[in-house]
Amino acid sequence: MGQIFPPWWNKLPIVAALAGSLGPALAVAGVWYFFSPWFTDVGYRPVQPVPYSHKLHVGELGLDCRYCHASVEISSVANVPPTQTCMNCHQTVKRDSELLAPIRASVASGHPMRWIRVHKLPDYAYFAHNAHVAAGIGCVTCHGRIDEMETVTQMTPLSMGWCLDCHRDPGPNRRPISEVTNMKWAPPRDVATLAAQLDRERPVNPPTDCSGCHR
Amino acid sequence: MTRTYWRSLAQLEEHPESRAFLEREFPEGASELPEGITRRDMMMLLGASLSLAGLAGCRRPVEEIVPYVTAPEEIVPGVPRYYATTMPFRRSAYGLIVESHEGRPTKIEGNPGHPATLGASSARIQASVLGLYDPDRSQTVRLKGEAKSWNDFVTAWGQLSKAHAADGGAGLAVLSESFCSPTLARLTSELRARFPRATWATYEAVSDENRLAGLRSVTGRDLDLMLRIDQASVILALDADPLLTDPEMIRHTRGFAAGRRAGASGGAMNRLYSVEGVYSLTGAMADHRLRLESRQIAPFLAALAARIVPPTAGGASLAGAGVPGVDPRWIDALAKDLLANRSKGLIVAGERQPAAVHAAVCALNTYLGNNGSTVTYYETKDAALPSVSSLGSLVSAMQGGAIRTLVVLGGNPVFDAPADLDFASAMAKVPDSIALGHSVDETSSKATWHVPRAHYLESWGDARAVGGTLSVVQPLILPLFGGRTPVEVLGLMVGDKDRPGYDIVQETWKPILAEAEFEKKWNRVLHDGLLAGSELPEVVPKLTAEPFADLARAIGPAAGSAGDLEVVFLPSPALHDGRFANDGWLQELPDPLTKLTWDNPALLSPKTAETLGLAGGDVVRLDHAGRSLELPVWLLPGMTDGVVALTLGYGRSHAGRIGSGVGFDTFKVRSSKTPGFDSGAKLTKLARTYPLSATQEHGSMEGRPVVRESTVTALRSKPAAGAETSESAHGGDSPQAPKAGVPSALGVFPEDPHHFSLWKEHTYDKGPQWGMTIDLNACIGCNACMVACQSENNVPVVGKDQVAKGREMHWIRVDRYFSGEPAGNPEIVFQPVPCMHCEDAPCEQVCPVAATVHDAQGLNVMVYNRCIGTRYCSNNCPYKVRRFNFFNFTKDTPDILKLAMNPDVTVRARGVMEKCTYCTQRINRVRIDARLAGRELRDGDVKTACQQACPASAIEFGDIRNPSSRVVAAKNDPRNYALLEELNTKPRTTYLAKVRNPNPDLEPSTSSGSAAPHSANPAGPGAAASHETGPVA
Repeated sequence: MGQIFPPWWNKLPIVAALAGSLGPALAVAGVWYFFSPWFTDVGYRPVQPVPYSHKLHVGELGLDCRYCHASVEISSVANVPPTQTCMNCHQTVKRDSELLAPIRASVASGHPMRWIRVHKLPDYAYFAHNAHVAAGIGCVTCHGRIDEMETVTQMTPLSMGWCLDCHRDPGPNRRPISEVTNMKWAPPRDVATLAAQLDRERPVNPPTDCSGCHR
Repeated sequence: MTRTYWRSLAQLEEHPESRAFLEREFPEGASELPEGITRRDMMMLLGASLSLAGLAGCRRPVEEIVPYVTAPEEIVPGVPRYYATTMPFRRSAYGLIVESHEGRPTKIEGNPGHPATLGASSARIQASVLGLYDPDRSQTVRLKGEAKSWNDFVTAWGQLSKAHAADGGAGLAVLSESFCSPTLARLTSELRARFPRATWATYEAVSDENRLAGLRSVTGRDLDLMLRIDQASVILALDADPLLTDPEMIRHTRGFAAGRRAGASGGAMNRLYSVEGVYSLTGAMADHRLRLESRQIAPFLAALAARIVPPTAGGASLAGAGVPGVDPRWIDALAKDLLANRSKGLIVAGERQPAAVHAAVCALNTYLGNNGSTVTYYETKDAALPSVSSLGSLVSAMQGGAIRTLVVLGGNPVFDAPADLDFASAMAKVPDSIALGHSVDETSSKATWHVPRAHYLESWGDARAVGGTLSVVQPLILPLFGGRTPVEVLGLMVGDKDRPGYDIVQETWKPILAEAEFEKKWNRVLHDGLLAGSELPEVVPKLTAEPFADLARAIGPAAGSAGDLEVVFLPSPALHDGRFANDGWLQELPDPLTKLTWDNPALLSPKTAETLGLAGGDVVRLDHAGRSLELPVWLLPGMTDGVVALTLGYGRSHAGRIGSGVGFDTFKVRSSKTPGFDSGAKLTKLARTYPLSATQEHGSMEGRPVVRESTVTALRSKPAAGAETSESAHGGDSPQAPKAGVPSALGVFPEDPHHFSLWKEHTYDKGPQWGMTIDLNACIGCNACMVACQSENNVPVVGKDQVAKGREMHWIRVDRYFSGEPAGNPEIVFQPVPCMHCEDAPCEQVCPVAATVHDAQGLNVMVYNRCIGTRYCSNNCPYKVRRFNFFNFTKDTPDILKLAMNPDVTVRARGVMEKCTYCTQRINRVRIDARLAGRELRDGDVKTACQQACPASAIEFGDIRNPSSRVVAAKNDPRNYALLEELNTKPRTTYLAKVRNPNPDLEPSTSSGSAAPHSANPAGPGAAASHETGPVA
């Protein structure tokens, strides 16, 4: 009758100890990394019905954000433009482009375009674009370098912790109101001086209470 | 003065069930599943939802953005727009401002410039937005139940019209609701010109027909009246409810509250006398209330008139000056008070009282000089006046086969016509009947043709409001289900052409506004919602008849027939005559007096019930005038003994999924001869009971002192002590109420040595600090705030069974406390209770997950996405204002009803706690708007939904750090007190104590008030006024 326990069983306590210590550590690390919005949400890049290129329109042609997202300064919603806005130019430019067929169809039929939302907050979070623009938070701060994106991609986690980082210390993320839609604006070397100056001119008091965003 | 307050008879009697209910935070079975789910089903559901949740969790849900194709001008996504419109109701018209989110109306407010609403609204107005999105509304034209198109109907009408035109419309009849609208009146006269022999009937189940008839008999003209309660010092309501069921209740309440408020702050306070059979809300507000059967009102009025009007002026015809069972001193004191306040008094009689009473009231008001000051008259114009007899003659013509085509232009006569007319069988004899209805209701389902009716928020139209102000009905949205308006149907009938309502209404308005610059003036009218300066001229009525002789004749022998039961028919405060039956908000709204939801039992006084051997919930058979009805009874303390009150509007069979089969159809025992009240009812107890859902014992604060009240004289003598009476529900076993502490203007409560907090306290020294006061002296308990809150904050409807378990979700409730003898004439105090937003909130201290916390503006906020549903907070809340979502009440909401939701407020799911937020979404919107505009917040910028709706302006809300704000002024009133102040919760919501203004002549001589001892001798008729009798100046 052979041995019930082969010799390698002697290593069992070591293996068990290693697994027992590494396993939880790996699990924690895994959750930390894989469950984080930095992993789950950043980089979200859905395919849109029309491959609208912000890189071309904003980066190269120099359209201002507010040409299409016109309500960003007056409403909590930064609207996605009506089909008619596309046709303002495209009834003369690239009239026969295959890629623009859905746009022409929308105008002809009266059925709206169905774009895919990229930057999505939970339903119980109420974000106000107008308040942030008025406070001098640039579009880039949340949306990234849109002017370099062929297809719009989520660049920031838009998580509550990430929002609160800025709400607790908005200074470094503020810029002069005139530069809000400027994609290429870079903060001066002395961020603190600018922040102090902006705070004097237009003090902000971003809410860190639940009721600031949740209603 | 010691008072004992109680909520219900069961509580007063220390009923064991009532005790048990109070002692449990959540009622028995509250944590159990609804019936019908077995353990096996449960496991299956759990398993399924787990696997589904697992799958769904792997993928980020794809959400679409669907922009406009061509953006409408002026609409900015995310920014609501506001439009003026008008809600027609009977012959009234409510001017409104409606909030619209991307084209869908979501919230209704009163139009501050409109005489009928004055910026406030009522429960029914607030709830009418739900009627727009009612999924049970009819969606298509029907011919004998089969779907047809509007064009089919137009063609069919063309043929009918040709046939009728041949003989001048002899076989054509129109049955309309009453209305007061220039366009409808114009079309009506055109229709009469085209079909001169057509029959026209106007029927309204609950109407002011008797008042019109009374005024006609005494003045010879068709007059409407307008009460100016704000001008009145002494008000006598005779079986009348001007503060709730009257169509002009908003205006009346505003005026009444103004008089109460003035008295509490040092001016003259009005005094309200109420003489009534059924406990009405007006009776609840009265300083003196006399219980009297409705049939005894006429003798009472005669006795009063005999004391006021000298024989030379016509008073001679009033023989007896006594009313059985009424202390003559009471009438003497009342007469004295009215005479002492000539031209500042007001007598108003209820709609159900006979014409002779209304005529005599008009004559008395004339004699006292009240006409022209507290009550004004104007000629009815552009109106279809209700008339039961016109319906009666129409029905006999229908029965006789003389009517070939019947057009029911709105209304639901098959349901609400008097039972003796048997409208349904008469309608069956008409070959072609056409019914315009919001849903396929009782009438439409029996009609040949049914045409869906547009909601007023989808309609073009117009109306005359109280006083005659021209108001315009402007649509907020295209008809969702292709409904048509009465204007369009009448337009088709007069012209045989399908014309849009807009054109027809504009055609009426062209002569009104004159051609020059019509567009400009029209746009101004649309913007304002009304045409400024279009009131009808005041008419000074000249009395042509001898009203007192008529009154004496009207009393006749019937007055003596005491001993039997008197049956009284009441319009429902929520559903009115049943037209709002499919509105869940209104069905679940507790009745102001009984606190019952979803039902309409017969109301009896406790003594009558005892005599008949009945208890609340017992089912009885009511026999009256050869018809009978089985329904449960409910005991309402303060009802007149020998009166059984039946509420109309319930028991509909074709209302829809909300309203069908709810309650009991009391129209079945209502006859055309006595639609208001009648003698000779008989109740027989049946051997079964019926469950009723009342909220009166929910949210009890366990007998702690909660409501405080005082009298004008006591307030004047000890102003510093403020409201002094505050007693427990159980009478005397609670400690003496602490003195009314006044928080300092800055919201920092004076630190009482007995009170210290174990918790680190917030400082609240920056930014706006929100606070609220509720003036119990102004509050009439009408429930407008409850529905306004429900509409603003997406509060779900839970249904009758859930209400019985104490799971109703209203964020603000209105508690009703009785005080006094339950078998006698108890008084009532109403107390609205929203979240108190305690600075030291007990709920926050027990939440294990910090789902309820304080924010820097002093709000006690509820974080839904943190809440795990332990309900500890609700256990620890002394005010019982927290509401728990036991089920996913909004899960099965039809898509169309979701359009009524406020997009600025989270729709809560199952398992989370929720409660009043002080309308934090409104605060945030105003703060952001002020910041964008670069200005500071101003007092009055933020109005909570309850505050905005309140017809009595009882609620003040604002920044308590702003010393000039109205809320600080209210908090500095000596009547200010905090609810359960001794708990040291430091509530931000405080109350102003109620003040009564009793007539010293009617005070019991043992009164502890500081009023000087007064003579108990009754003053003679026409006694000169002494300085004591008038309202305190």
